[in-house]
Amino acid sequence: MTTLLEVRNLTRTFGSLRAVDDVSFSVREGELLGLIGPNGAGKSTLYNVIAGALAPTSGAIAFKGRPVAAWKPYQAARAGIARTFQIPKPYRHLSVIENVALSALLHNATVAAARHSAEAVLADVGLADYAEEPVSILTVGLLKRLEVARALALRPSLVLFDEIMAGLTPSEVKGMTSLVASLPARGITVIWVEHVLYAIMKTAPRIMVLHRGQLIADGAPEKLAKNPAVIKAYLGEEMSLA
Amino acid sequence: MEAAPAQTERRPTRWRLMPERGTVSLFELALLAICIALVAGRLPQNLQDVVIQTFLWGGLALAWNIAGGYAGLISFGHAAFFGLGAYCSTILAVNHGVTPWIGLWLGALLSAAFAALLTLVCARLRGPFFILSTLAAAEVVRIGALNWATLTGGAEGLAILPTPSVLNMVFESKTTYALLMLCYLVAVYVITKVVEGSRYGFYLFAERDDEDAASAAGVNPLLARTGAMCLSAFLTAIGGSLFAQYFLFLDPTHVISPELSFQFALLPALGGLGTAIGPVLGSFAITPLSEMLRSYLGGAAAGLHLAIYGGVLVVVMLYFPGGIAGALQQISRRRTKGAP
Repeated sequence: MTTLLEVRNLTRTFGSLRAVDDVSFSVREGELLGLIGPNGAGKSTLYNVIAGALAPTSGAIAFKGRPVAAWKPYQAARAGIARTFQIPKPYRHLSVIENVALSALLHNATVAAARHSAEAVLADVGLADYAEEPVSILTVGLLKRLEVARALALRPSLVLFDEIMAGLTPSEVKGMTSLVASLPARGITVIWVEHVLYAIMKTAPRIMVLHRGQLIADGAPEKLAKNPAVIKAYLGEEMSLA
Repeated sequence: MEAAPAQTERRPTRWRLMPERGTVSLFELALLAICIALVAGRLPQNLQDVVIQTFLWGGLALAWNIAGGYAGLISFGHAAFFGLGAYCSTILAVNHGVTPWIGLWLGALLSAAFAALLTLVCARLRGPFFILSTLAAAEVVRIGALNWATLTGGAEGLAILPTPSVLNMVFESKTTYALLMLCYLVAVYVITKVVEGSRYGFYLFAERDDEDAASAAGVNPLLARTGAMCLSAFLTAIGGSLFAQYFLFLDPTHVISPELSFQFALLPALGGLGTAIGPVLGSFAITPLSEMLRSYLGGAAAGLHLAIYGGVLVVVMLYFPGGIAGALQQISRRRTKGAP
């Protein structure tokens, strides 16, 4: 498999804070890569830099073998990188299907064709019943699904999921997990940030751990659970009681 | 790429009662019929004047709505575009003998160029900061027009010779003016409907509702914003030229005033922001009211018409935040839900 995304020595600072600190990794085509880390670890900043919402302070990103120098979010989207937002950002005055059709316009010549392909995506994420409703009636869980639908409607080669399970019921988590797991087979590479650890640990064959902006572990989930650096990041220092 | 099926619309296309995005409704056709009747009917001169102004203001409100309603670029500076259009065609006609039929297009292009410049300069500004910068830009244009007297006639203004001639776009009969303004209104309305049903319209709605999300979906927000502002300015300038040809007199205080800018924004806000029918309904409700109040009360109690006008506005904004179009939509929705 070829390398889809290559991140080299990427750093992004906010003043004196190094939100992403010298991070390097690569993602192969068809991978399902989990990205975890405590709050404030720099996961969302890393996403924002890859998706063009923030410029890197230093370091390099290459997508599909081509170097990416400070591109804009719409350029990233057109190149094939889709993302969801941790806090859903629906278009408030559009209906559910129109929200998704807007993304589908990227690959469809007409609004009618975009609506048609949006219908298929809505069925995929289980929002078909809400197609014509205004987004204002959607619950948090449904808004998360809408985020996923909008990202998939772009027909991306790489999708960045940002906590799409937060606020979902256990059965919804199950459905969403199987949807995410099915994406690599459809030619969509996935990077997946999640706080619902049991879902990600069971599904992703490879997981990276980010802590204070630095990548402290990268490997199979069963290895991570035994990694002292990861345990330290999540549970703190071991205390000795004399 | 999957092949697009021939019949992609979910619901079959049929006549709709109320206005909706992407279709033509019976309501709109009925309104058009009423407008044609108002032009053709032999109304007294003062009523014809009200009809002419209602059409003109409807078109201008629609033009403003493309930027303010669809793209969320609330502008209090559209008087600048209006004034640029009016002055451009008038100066060309009075000083250089260019027919307004050509001059109005040049004014529209000039206005669109100014709008592009303004949007690019204000690219980073949002909300109140954008509003204030448009207000300031229009004031700069007004003060410029006041002081560049050799070109604009300054505070004394510019007068167009009232000799009727088709080439000079000056007409004897008010019916002709009414027809001209109706053509303008219908043209801007059709453009609005085309925009709101097109992919470009979707880009505008998305950029207005959430810029980050739109950008992540492949929309270039700056391009969308600039395009909306240019189209809006272009159409507003044409309205300015038509205004000049009807009133045959221009001066900066009246043609590039902040009051005018507020009026452009007010009619769509009242009729229903971000809908095609809203600005038209806004003008149909407010322009006759304000003209009537002015003529009935103007002499007896100067300024009273403004107080009544203001009162109506407050009531509408309080009880119908979606404007007249929003209220109509609510009623029609309640009906369809009540039906089996």
